[in-house]
Formats: sequence, C-alpha cells, structure tokens
Amino acid sequence: MTALFAGTTILEFGGGAAGPVATRYFADHGATVIRVESRQRPDFLRTLRLTPTSPGGLDGAHHFAVLNANKLSVALNLSRPEAIALARRLALRVDAVAENFAPGAMAKWGLDYASLVKDRPDLVMISTCLNGQTGPERHYPGFGGQGSALAGFNHLTGWPDREPVGPFGTITDSLSPRFAALLLASALLHRARTGEGQHIDLAQVEGGIVCLAEAIVTYTANGEILARMGDRSRHAAPHGVFPCAGNDRWVAIAVHDDDDWRRLVQAIGAPAWANDSALATVEGRLACVDDVERGLAEWTRGQSRRDVAARLQAAGIDAAPVEDFADLHEDPQLAHRGHFRPVEHAVLGRHPVETHAMRFSAMAPEIRLPAPRLGEHTEQVLRELLGIPADECARLKDAGVLD
Amino acid sequence: MTPSSPTRGNLDGIRVLDLTREPGFLAGKLLAELGADVVKVEPPDGDPARRRPPFRGGIGSLVWLALNTSKRGITLALDRPRGRELFLRLVARADVVIDTPTAHSFGWDELHRQNPRLVHVAVTPFGEDGPYAQWRGSDLTAVATSGNLFSTGDPDRPPVRCTMPVSHYHGGIEAAVAVVFALLARERTGEGQHVDVALQEAMVMPNIGTAAMYAMTGNRGARAGAFMRQERSVMREIWPCKDGFVSFALRGGPARIPGLVAMVRYMDEHGMASDALKAIDWTRYNHNLLTQEQVDALSAEFGTFFRSKTMSELYRAACERNLMLAPINDAREIVASRQLAARGFFVDVDDADGPLRHPGAFAISNATRIGIRRPAPRLGEHTAEVLAEVGVDAAALARLRAEDIV
Repeated sequence: MTALFAGTTILEFGGGAAGPVATRYFADHGATVIRVESRQRPDFLRTLRLTPTSPGGLDGAHHFAVLNANKLSVALNLSRPEAIALARRLALRVDAVAENFAPGAMAKWGLDYASLVKDRPDLVMISTCLNGQTGPERHYPGFGGQGSALAGFNHLTGWPDREPVGPFGTITDSLSPRFAALLLASALLHRARTGEGQHIDLAQVEGGIVCLAEAIVTYTANGEILARMGDRSRHAAPHGVFPCAGNDRWVAIAVHDDDDWRRLVQAIGAPAWANDSALATVEGRLACVDDVERGLAEWTRGQSRRDVAARLQAAGIDAAPVEDFADLHEDPQLAHRGHFRPVEHAVLGRHPVETHAMRFSAMAPEIRLPAPRLGEHTEQVLRELLGIPADECARLKDAGVLD
Repeated sequence: MTPSSPTRGNLDGIRVLDLTREPGFLAGKLLAELGADVVKVEPPDGDPARRRPPFRGGIGSLVWLALNTSKRGITLALDRPRGRELFLRLVARADVVIDTPTAHSFGWDELHRQNPRLVHVAVTPFGEDGPYAQWRGSDLTAVATSGNLFSTGDPDRPPVRCTMPVSHYHGGIEAAVAVVFALLARERTGEGQHVDVALQEAMVMPNIGTAAMYAMTGNRGARAGAFMRQERSVMREIWPCKDGFVSFALRGGPARIPGLVAMVRYMDEHGMASDALKAIDWTRYNHNLLTQEQVDALSAEFGTFFRSKTMSELYRAACERNLMLAPINDAREIVASRQLAARGFFVDVDDADGPLRHPGAFAISNATRIGIRRPAPRLGEHTAEVLAEVGVDAAALARLRAEDIV
C-alpha cells in the first residue's frame, strides 16, 4: 500500500523532544510534518551545544538532526502579526496541529484550539507540556529532567545508599511522544469515523505517573513506598549486572525462578557455593543475595560479556551484554530490524537516524528527508499550501516576517 | 465528573482480545481507556501476575490491579482444542489481538485466515525474527541491549535500571500506537495486518537521539550519577536539600537563563547569594564554556542554599518564580499534589475489596472520554457474559467449566 499517512499534513509548534518525537511516528509513515520555527527563538535542541564556532550554526546541531528527520521547516517570526496570520492559515489548512509550548503561548497568538476551532470545526489538535493546560502549576517551566523527577522516575532509579539518578535521557520526554502519537492517531481515527475533531491536553507528568500505576496503588492500598533498589528485583535473584573482561564491560543476568536457577548452576559448572540447598528457592536466594551476586560475579569476571550471554542463553537463561551507544550500531538484532537508517544532511553529511519499535506486515517506515535547516521550506510551503506567490514571499522575507 | 463530560471514546466499538502477560498489560489498558472493549484472556488458573506480590489486603496483586483497569476478563484453556476453538470464535468478531507470545499462542497466519480484518500485535523482548529472536528476555535485558542501562547510574558502580520495568511501559504504549496505526490503515484497505513490537528497540528511543548521534559525536555514553556532562565540565543535576533531593540544572540557553536569574534573586532575598554570583552577566552565560573550577564555585553556592530548604518549599518557589527546579517525588508526594488534585487526576475505583485510588486519565480530551472505565477484572469475572456473545449458553458453559476449559 502507499504510505499510511501520505496526503496527511501535521503542523508542529514547539521544540525539544516531547513534541517533535511524536510527529516522527507520522512522518516516518508518510505524513508531511511542517515545523513552525523562528530564528528569534530557536528550538533549544538547535542551541544545546552551540558555540560561536559550531559548524552550520543553528543548522548544524546533531541533536536536532537525529530527532527531526522527515520534516519540513517554515520560519515565521510570531512576534509579527503577519506571521501569526500565516500560521493561522496553515493551522486551518492542515489535518492536525501539535504543539508543546508553555500553556497560554498559543492563546497569546490566537492559535489555541478555542480560537482555531471557530474556523475549523473538525480541528484535531494536541497540546503537551509538563503539568497540563489547567491547574495552579500549569505555568511551571521545565524540561524532561523536571518531568522525570515530578512523575517519580528519579526516586525509583539508582542505588538505595546514593542520590536518585533517573533513567538516562529524561524519561517523560520519551514516554510522552508515544502517548501523543497514540492520542493523535486515535483522534484521527475518531474523526474518520464520526467527523468530529477534538483538543487533547497531554500532561507529560501525568502520563508518566499512569505508567508507574503499580507504585502508586502500592502506596494508596498499603502505604508502602517503593524505592530504588539498584538492579535487584523484589521477585527474583540473582537479577543484576555483573562485571566482564574489558573496561566498563558488563553482562545482565536475570534468574526469574527456581528452574532458571538450576539451569544457571549447571551452566556455570556447579561450583560448591551454588550447590547450597538454601539457594534452591527464590526466598533463599533473596535472603543471601549479596553472596549469590558475589559468587556469580566471580564467574563472569574475566569472561567476554558476549560469550557469557550466548552461553547462558544457550542454557535457557535470560542474559544479555550491556551495550553502549557504539555497540548499538553493531547489534545484530537492531541491524536486522533496520533500527538505524542513513540520511544525507547538508551540514552534517551522512548520518544515522532512528525509527520506531514496530514493524508492520503491510507497510514500512521510510526516512525520506534529513532534518530541515531552519526555514528551509518556507517558500515551498507558503506556495503549495497557501498559494502565496514568490514576490509576496520575498516581500514578507524582507519585512522580517519569515525569520 | 461533570454532567457535560464526554461519554464517547476515540476507540468506541473496537473489540480487542488481550492475551498479554505483564510486559503487555499497559497496551490493553490504554486502548480500553480510549474506549475499546478489551477482553483479557487468561488461563483457568489465572495470569501469573495475579500471584505476584505486593498484594492488596493479602489477595489482589497490585501490579494486576494497576495495569488491567478498564478491561473485561475471561478464562480460557488455550492448550486444549475446545479452548482454542472458542478463542477463534471470539477472533472472528474481534478487531485486534494483542499478545506477548507463549507456547500456546496463535500464529498470524491462523488468525488472519479466521478474520482477514484482524490486527495482530505481538510484543516480544527482541522481535519475532532476527539473531536474538529466540533469546529469553525481560525488562533488565531489554534495557541492557538498548544503550539506556549503560549510561544510567553512578560512574563507580555497575549500570543500573529503573526499579520499575520501564521497557514494559515504552513497549506497551508503542504496541497501542501500532494498533491504532493498523486500524487507520484498515480504514483504507479493509485488511488487517500483523505488527512486531520489540522491547529492546523500544528502549533505544529513550536515549533521546544520543544513540544515533554516536556516529557524529563518538560518544559511547557514560554514567554520570547525579551529574550531567557538558563540553568542558560535569555539572550537578540532582541536589540534596533539607528533606530529600531536587533536580536543578546550571545549564543555560534562552529557555533556562530566566530561571537562573530568578533563582539568584530568590537566594539573594535569603541573604545567600554572594557578590560574585550576583555580578554574573547571565545574558552572556554559556554553560558549555565554563571550566570545572567555575562550575564547582557556582555549585557550592547553590548547593548550600538547597540544603537550607525543603523539597516542598523549593517546589512552591519554583512554581511562583518560574524556577526550573523539581522535587524528586515519591508516591506519597505525587498522591498529595495540589496540581493533580485540581485536575481531578486521581480516581477511586471500586473493586471487590472496596475503593482503591488510581492514577486516572493519561490525557484529557474536550470531546471524547479518556480514563478508567472499570476495575481490573476478577478471575473469570466476564467469562459467561463474553462467551454468551459468541453463542455459548448456560448449559454449554457448565460443560466447559466441568472440563476445566474455562
């Protein structure tokens, strides 16, 4: 079939990861995703590592490039009324609008749902920010680092005797794009079936808390507060990360039940410490988990992490090498799935971008375009979507509207 | 819930059969909370998660209660011919099957023959084919092979995972996205399709691009603990305060500078900002140009201030003054949040043991209903009701019960 979202256009306001990663789901399946940007206030991913000598300036940011492939960029200086009018015409023309500005920003420009829906009754629009569009703390500013802390992920990640650390990569910035893609897709399905549009308010903190529902109901039911416990599990032992040959090399091993344990003892050559009958049950292993982990670490230490994982997997045990970002590009399973795909970027040259974790039997994700330079498609989009001729574009550009 | 609250859901009328074990629970919950009729199908002795502590009142497994809300539940012995036949009758009138495949699962070919419009999503640790397809996997090993584990934790200790299984959350939402994408495709083609969702791959994106950037940056990743690496320094991001920890960054950029300026003013009001700190020209501040000595000097001053305040004092100030500072919340603080209360986020769900407070809607729509429909099903709670929908009457049901099929 032709790409699922061929012919579908999504207009995107905002930046960072939480908004832009969501629209990539649609872009990779054929949607035209148009980012509204401005040099007056660039996406922070374009400036994150920016120094006066960065090649390409705002157009050379790696971080922006890997997250925004397959999109077009229109430069509109929204401090100018003419730019706001153009943004409004685009918003009314497209199939859906996605924004992740602070609450109230879109309303300030008259680009909020309440204003747009008057001229587009079946508008589908999603707004996402940390705390949501309503409530006393809606204006609280923050990025994913703050979202992760507020939603409870930091508290649950790290060692019990150390500071909480949070999962690498500010997890609400990766959970919320998935939620946003689900919500936007379900709203498009609803409109296809009923003709009805809607506005969705996704609070990134709330989405994160829904994921952690087990920790919440454990507290509301029993008053128990779950806390970080390193790599250990309340339900299984050993369950952890063990040292291997090489600098900072590790293997992850999870023994889920007593059958797994019997197989593990055989696979590691049945050393005397492991044959202790007290370790035959999960309760027994949890009771002396320090000793079990120490014994297993003695066996893994000095071996290659890949050999350990392959040997334990051959014995039917859940084990895998701990991979760093370089290793992922050599990972045979990710290669098999085509997770990283090359794209040619004007400043950065050929570089990989990622696609999603779902593979369909009747359609496939495709990377067609590198991330856009800021404003790269301004004239094209204004011409094709709004019918604005070249000389008018030139006038608007000279007047600083398309900046 | 006000009288004007929407009642229809985006996925009203979509029938889902949910065969998943724990790694897939969230997918069905989200679909159900968008309005789909999700029927959880368990073996007659119940899903293994029902036997996993902690329990509510010694009976109900809390992971089960938390992640199976809004679903109906039936039991069916899929290892018996009669059970399989009944399942295929349900498939004939279903739109979606989601599964974390086990030995008794149904293959796509068989499901597709039974119902060409069916969407089938399988969630596995590594994917359904490829070199790791036959590997055993779990949250720990999915996160280990995603790059995310390696860079989480303290530099002087092994990599560390989130104690809660985040790959199940990422993979669960991804599976729900896959369902809706496949349903949208079906609108156009009339055909269902199969989707293969892998937890390993789902955990690569949470590195927020850093994995793909390796090719340009050479950054293999590293653990920085409570700190974050910058161009010329490491900067603290998690700070001890009077009664816990807060997250706060000394990073700059147009979005963050106003917060740094406001923080210095806040410290100054408490007599805790030095002349050197007040003299900084924040309009020219670029954290990437700071040396470690400069960072350490700044950190000493901010750190002393944070230790003099509680998490709630600091967060209240952050909300009033637009400081980019967050408390490291645990469940108690989350449940007590005034913001979440104002949005009506928590809901008391009545199950057999009385009301239990749950996190509610994962989003709010002005036109459609998102949120919990019913408590997680008791074992076999809807078996009679669901099987009656495919023509199994009371007498037939009694025979199935006698044969331990349901």
